[in-house]
Amino acid sequence: MDLENKDIVQEVNEIPQETVETVEAPTASTPATQEARVTLPPIFDYSAVETEETPVAPPMKRHMGAKAKRTLSNAIIYIILGIMTVVWLFPFFCLILESFRVETTAQVGYLFPKQWGFDNYIRLFTETDFPRWLLNTFVMGVFVAILQTIIVLCMSYTLSRLRFKGRKFLMNFMLILGMFPGFLSMILLYKVLSDVGLYEANAPWGLILVYVASSGMGYYISKGFFDTIPTTLDEAARVDGATRFQVFYKVILPLSKPIVIYTVLMGFMAPFGDFVLAKYIAHGAVEGMNVGVGLWTWLERTLINTNYTMFCAGGVVVAVPVTILFLCLQKYYVEGVTGGAVKG
Amino acid sequence: MAKVKLTNVRKVYENKTKGDNKPAVDDFNLEIKDKEFVVFVGPSGCGKSTTLRMIAGLEDITAGTIEIDGVVVNDLQPKDRDIAMVFQNYALYPHLSVFENMAFSLRLRKVPQEEVYRRVTEAAEILGITEYLTRKPRALSGGQRQRVAIGRAMVRDSKVFLMDEPLSNLDAKLRNQMRAEIILLRKKIDTTFVYVTHDQTEAMTLGDRIVIMKDGFIMQVGTPVEVFDMPDNLFVAEFIGAPKMNTMRAQLVEEEDKYFVVAHGVKMEVDGEKGVALSDRAVGSREVILGVRPEHITMTTPDDPEGIHCTVQVNEMMGSELHLHVVTDDGEKLIVRVPTITLSNEERFALRFGAEIYVTFEGKVMHFFDVDTEKNLLTAADLETPAEEVPAEETPVEETPIDEVPNQD
Repeated sequence: MDLENKDIVQEVNEIPQETVETVEAPTASTPATQEARVTLPPIFDYSAVETEETPVAPPMKRHMGAKAKRTLSNAIIYIILGIMTVVWLFPFFCLILESFRVETTAQVGYLFPKQWGFDNYIRLFTETDFPRWLLNTFVMGVFVAILQTIIVLCMSYTLSRLRFKGRKFLMNFMLILGMFPGFLSMILLYKVLSDVGLYEANAPWGLILVYVASSGMGYYISKGFFDTIPTTLDEAARVDGATRFQVFYKVILPLSKPIVIYTVLMGFMAPFGDFVLAKYIAHGAVEGMNVGVGLWTWLERTLINTNYTMFCAGGVVVAVPVTILFLCLQKYYVEGVTGGAVKG
Repeated sequence: MAKVKLTNVRKVYENKTKGDNKPAVDDFNLEIKDKEFVVFVGPSGCGKSTTLRMIAGLEDITAGTIEIDGVVVNDLQPKDRDIAMVFQNYALYPHLSVFENMAFSLRLRKVPQEEVYRRVTEAAEILGITEYLTRKPRALSGGQRQRVAIGRAMVRDSKVFLMDEPLSNLDAKLRNQMRAEIILLRKKIDTTFVYVTHDQTEAMTLGDRIVIMKDGFIMQVGTPVEVFDMPDNLFVAEFIGAPKMNTMRAQLVEEEDKYFVVAHGVKMEVDGEKGVALSDRAVGSREVILGVRPEHITMTTPDDPEGIHCTVQVNEMMGSELHLHVVTDDGEKLIVRVPTITLSNEERFALRFGAEIYVTFEGKVMHFFDVDTEKNLLTAADLETPAEEVPAEETPVEETPIDEVPNQD
């Protein structure tokens, strides 16, 4: 089989030269009737191959080679990805194991617990301020998610669709402003929030204010998304009798599910991930802490031996719902929604 | 069902680089009668779509007024103008079913449910899309989507029906079919239509009147017959008709109250009504741009004194006719349209590259344009007399071809 294929490959390779010869020869001598054939490029003349039995075989062989190659490269890619996954997931794996350790509450030199149990989780919710911190963070998350989504979407729709004086300047200005580290404003923020009483025990409310206030600056991603929705949809809706706002919520928003969900998730996650500002504004008041700051207090030298496994349990409690939320909503990231809107 | 009146409409896009702010539309005056089908046609960037969008309210008007049914709508939002519009790229709402797409405007107006159902199904019936009503736009073909877009505009019963190149995204076959359907549709809807296209065939077949635009200005307004038979200027002459009109430098000579044209060294009498018209307007002897449509050029015998000798360069076989691209002896290119039915098989075969033929044309098919203003000498309001009359015999015919003018995309 292989030998035959080789022969055919050789034959095929030789064809172009032969064809040129066979075609050119009659051109010079024979008139009109041959003309149509002469105009065809040599590649269309299969007269030389017709005697062969299976001219389709060579590409098939090449195809199999390509398949093996692809399998190999896929295997390499998956091995690399597998290693990276293990590296990334290992700390989380340790965290989960630690959280189920019952025999001691301090750090130990081995990985798997000798005694398994839910003691740490029970203590977490019954004996500590953790529920308060979780509630604080959750409330902040909900408020920030709602307010920030409204502000960001309105902002990005405006910047994407409306043309007004100073639009470019505003966008550039916010871009540059965003480059300054947030830490620079922390002292000032503390001053302002302490003046109005939104610090220490009231820190969550102050933090909501701070998170939401600057959220308009995060318009980039959603503006980019809105930019991909054809403006003729807006125009069609406006001609159909919609106001600007109706265009926004009846046409654009339903088409923007992925970006709405992304914005909501980002807003909800922000308080869970914050530490520096949250710690600064809470200023040591246990009732005003978020989970990050609260759990951190257990890692102080005097507390770490009694609270370490509980700290791990807290980490798991924070991570699990957020992870589940992400897994549930991730399909919206990849859903192509604008299909069929305009000629593609 | 309404009149649309545009008075001195002007549109200037603010140029960010502060360069020259050339108007996209300028000095646009037009009165569209009730239930009239008006087509704006012109090459890309001539301002036809901009004008339509100004009527729709999607673009601001820099100066002038637009009236719909006697009401100045300059500052009205699109939703308050009672217009319906079909877009080139359909602009269907992808998240809504075909039914909801068509019902969208009615729902915004809080039309009762039964009425919505009645109107949408009626429109779907007319357009033959009833079976697709539950589908999403993405599950439709291009032609079906365009039908939905038209249906969405139909259910509105609006005063004016605007269409912005509705067929240009369709393939050629579908386009011809939809064009015929629009003609039928128009009889059923019976409202005022404004239709934008860059395709002169669409303009000629659909329009009651055609508005031909170039660089933001109206070049001519007229019925399809008017713009074809009596183009106001060289641009219109070349834009309307396919293949485009042949143009050549020629000398118009007045002798004993008769007019002759000298082109490519051949002297032809301008007989018939064109000759009379030239005399009536006292055009006088002068250099002109002579325009002759390809279908008006006929092949003739070598002994014809009015025959122009040419050499065939390209022979395009279109089925019912041949398009011969020929070159005259002084190097000007002409296109000749020959109906294949008039040719024997041998003749058809003989008209190949290098074949030598003689062509001629009659006086009644000639169009005369001023060399400087490019206006039609028979219709131009301000006919300038040439600076000095030069006897025809002494002036050699210019050899520069003038075929760079139109941009027929």
